[in-house]
Amino acid sequence: MEQGKTEVLKGTLDMLVLKVVAVGPIHGYAISQRIQQISRDFFQVPEGSLYPALYRLEDGGWLQAKWEETETGREAKFYSLTRAGRKRLSTEMVNWERLSEAVALILRTVE
Amino acid sequence: MGWPRRLFHKRLTEKRMDAELRFHLEHRVLDYVASGMNPEEARRRALLSFGGLEQIKQDCRDARTENHVEDFLRDFQYALRSLAKDRRFALIAVFALALGIGATTAMFSVIYNVVFDPFPYRDFQHSVILELRDLTGTGDAVMRFHYTIPEFLAIREQNRVFEDIVGNYQLDVLYSDGKGTRRFLGGYVTANGFEFLGVPPVLGRFFATGDGKPGTPFIFMMSYRLWQTEFHGDPKILGASFFLNGKPRTLVGIMPQRFNGYGSSVWFPLDLSPGADGTSFPVKDPDVIWALARLEKGVSQQVADADLDTIMHRLAQNNPGELYPQHFRLATRTLLDFVVGDFKSTLYALLAAVSMLLLIACGNVGNLLLARATVREREIAVRASLGASPARLIRQLLVESFVLAASACLAGCLFAYFGLKGLVAIIPRGPIPEETVIGLNPAVLLFALAIAALVTLVCGLAPALHVVRGNVLPAIAGSGKGSGGSVRHGKLRSGLVIAEVALSIVLLTGAGLMMRSFFALTHVDLGFDPAHMLYARVVPTMNDHGDNADTVAKRTLFFQQVLQRVQALPGVLTSTITLGLPPLGGAGSEITVLGKPPSQHWEPMVDLCGEAYFQTLGLRLLRGKLLSEADIDSARHVAVVNQAFARAYFTGEDPLGHKVKFNVFDQLPDTPRDAYFEVIGVITDFKNRGLLGPPLPEAFLPYSITGFGERNILATTAVDPKSLLASVQREIWAVDSNAAVIRSGSIKELLAEEAYTRPQFGLITIGVFAGIGFALVLIGIFSVMAYTVALQTHEIGVRIALGAQRDNVLTMVLWKGLRLISIGMLIGVLASLGLTRFMASQIQGVSASDPLTFFAVVILFLTVGMIASLLPARRAADIDPLAALRYE
Repeated sequence: MEQGKTEVLKGTLDMLVLKVVAVGPIHGYAISQRIQQISRDFFQVPEGSLYPALYRLEDGGWLQAKWEETETGREAKFYSLTRAGRKRLSTEMVNWERLSEAVALILRTVE
Repeated sequence: MGWPRRLFHKRLTEKRMDAELRFHLEHRVLDYVASGMNPEEARRRALLSFGGLEQIKQDCRDARTENHVEDFLRDFQYALRSLAKDRRFALIAVFALALGIGATTAMFSVIYNVVFDPFPYRDFQHSVILELRDLTGTGDAVMRFHYTIPEFLAIREQNRVFEDIVGNYQLDVLYSDGKGTRRFLGGYVTANGFEFLGVPPVLGRFFATGDGKPGTPFIFMMSYRLWQTEFHGDPKILGASFFLNGKPRTLVGIMPQRFNGYGSSVWFPLDLSPGADGTSFPVKDPDVIWALARLEKGVSQQVADADLDTIMHRLAQNNPGELYPQHFRLATRTLLDFVVGDFKSTLYALLAAVSMLLLIACGNVGNLLLARATVREREIAVRASLGASPARLIRQLLVESFVLAASACLAGCLFAYFGLKGLVAIIPRGPIPEETVIGLNPAVLLFALAIAALVTLVCGLAPALHVVRGNVLPAIAGSGKGSGGSVRHGKLRSGLVIAEVALSIVLLTGAGLMMRSFFALTHVDLGFDPAHMLYARVVPTMNDHGDNADTVAKRTLFFQQVLQRVQALPGVLTSTITLGLPPLGGAGSEITVLGKPPSQHWEPMVDLCGEAYFQTLGLRLLRGKLLSEADIDSARHVAVVNQAFARAYFTGEDPLGHKVKFNVFDQLPDTPRDAYFEVIGVITDFKNRGLLGPPLPEAFLPYSITGFGERNILATTAVDPKSLLASVQREIWAVDSNAAVIRSGSIKELLAEEAYTRPQFGLITIGVFAGIGFALVLIGIFSVMAYTVALQTHEIGVRIALGAQRDNVLTMVLWKGLRLISIGMLIGVLASLGLTRFMASQIQGVSASDPLTFFAVVILFLTVGMIASLLPARRAADIDPLAALRYE
């Protein structure tokens, strides 16, 4: 693996996926590209993690999927958020903010 | 698409997953190409970054619910298939467990409902009755349960231990509706009596404070059963007036079906308040009040006993007399214990029996499962080495055990349901409270089911344990079937069989002893022939207060007329009057013999009878003469006694001519005081107090000497006694329409009801348990032997090939079976002998270590056990060495 590219932190992948999907229907490849782009190539999303995550989220009812044509005219599986997914995304984001604030606080104060 | 739908569209789901991943791959290739890579290199890089495509697919599948469901279904299918392959095993295991569950649940349910929760009454666990116990000498016997009014009032006012106390007096109530007179069981109950029990009436109200006080209207309440049988459940009778004991009374309430408080059919309010003059109280007899009290919260029976004892001893000091023995104590006894009493011990004995049965069933199933495990160990090991994870193997075995346990539980529920029906059908109604409703106890059922499930799961998992421990290799490496863990299993299973045999022996000896006891009971020589004998308990006319309305002479006349008419009935051979009904007993009295010091406690039985009594029972005269018609007519003070009487009180002398006083007469109304009866004859002994004890001393006096007490008509018949009952009743009413027949029937039936039903219940129940247990053990022996032979096929084949005689093989296998059985039997017999004291309370007329029973059980077990191991032994002897060796 190339330097500077980290695998997504365990446990945050679901949140990132949900966040990306929240923008609108999107297929798996685009999700991995989007995460990589937005994180300015910091995060790598290996297929071996992405797809089981997508399947798990769909199985749990947070994502729904539909087969549609892409702009290039090919059939692809497009994911979008369900109501439950939206709810989970917001709680996970709140939790994450609290967590990172707390971590930052500790890092700032403890010398 | 949700998972249930995906479950049925598996192919489509797979195709789509493929498509999705391919789409991803192609896009990546395109991206690489776009960034200037040559297509071939791009493809290679893309595939590389994908890692193991199959692994991703598997991870995706694992993320899906339907795939787990499917795995489970596959395990389930597999379990069904493998059980179906071994159908005999599966059926026996399920059947054994189901029997165990069913029998235990049914028995526990009966015990729970009878011993712990028989009453619908409020807080009945703290309800007690009072008993006065005679401590004179070394004794501690109950002298009386009844108290005088001053005693009752003193207890009520002075006690510091009762929350509430109810007084109750039972009496017969005669009901006249203009057409005839019927007799109901009646009771006077203090006005708090119904609130005390806390059961609301189905109609109307129950007694309240103030009811029964002088000057208040005459009211009464009625039981549900009387309401149904006599008044067809007509609700309009509430508020109507009835002529009871010659006085109109208004019906104010009807109690529900599940209520048997104070053991009556009609209840009158009883007022005993200190201010009342007592005129409303119906009787003049001295001690008549039966008390029911509820202990205050937190007061123990010991504390209550001490408090009451003080009160009672103070009373005894102030009123010395015959009411109190020299040394006595007043004790409380719980209502539950009073009503259920020693039937509890029968139930507990049966509980012990059924627990053994459950153990046998569990042992049996464990045995079968272990046997199976031995065979399957190799299969499991092969699967493990082919890559099945331990978790997967355990899950699969768990599913199989689960299938087994679930079917056993289902069948067990059915067995429990029908088993309970069977038990309820044969349970004697006598010793259990009438209010008791016996139903299936869900908690017990769950408990039995849980045990069954646990056994199945634990034993079912045995073959997987080796795999978990990592001992895969020996199981595969071992050639043939018998290797690795099977030796250990073999020992465990032999141990299980031995334990089963021991338990079964205990059960069988128990059943055998009960059977012997029952046989002894039903074949007792009574000293007379109870066949074709009829009885009818008769109460002549009574006045309002339940006292005898007639003079003694009028009563004698009444009975003479009745006898004349009964005697004239076609089919009646002889007929007589008697007080007690042989062989179940009658009254007793202390005696004083003229000219002898009253040194000992002489208390023979005493019967009041007619001159035909001896002829009716077929008793032989040994000395002197029998009662004559003239003796009866003129109520002479003469007595005929039995041999036991003569032996006990006149050892070595002639009893004839001696004069005996029956002290009890001095205390009873309408009886001659200070009367001495001359002994005029001695007759043969017969059973007069229960079936098993020796005949007690008894004296027979003319019934005409007193008007006190009820009388029985006793008659021998040429036809079925029951066919004459209606005619006898008609004849009695023909003499006096106000006379009532309390109970009638044949002596044979009376014996069956009073003496046989309880031992019969015990016998049938334990017999069924022992039978089932025995069958299960035989199956256990058979299966162990069969599996042993199957495991040793190779060895036996080699032996035969090397020249062993088939007889030797047969003996070898039989010997092994015999060893298992013998060890088990030895332990079982020792255990049974150790339990004899426990068993002794349940049997009569036979020793609890009866050698014949033990011998019979041992022989039975040996014979049948050997047959059970003979079949596998025959198979072993028939092994074809070539086939056995080629099989390897």
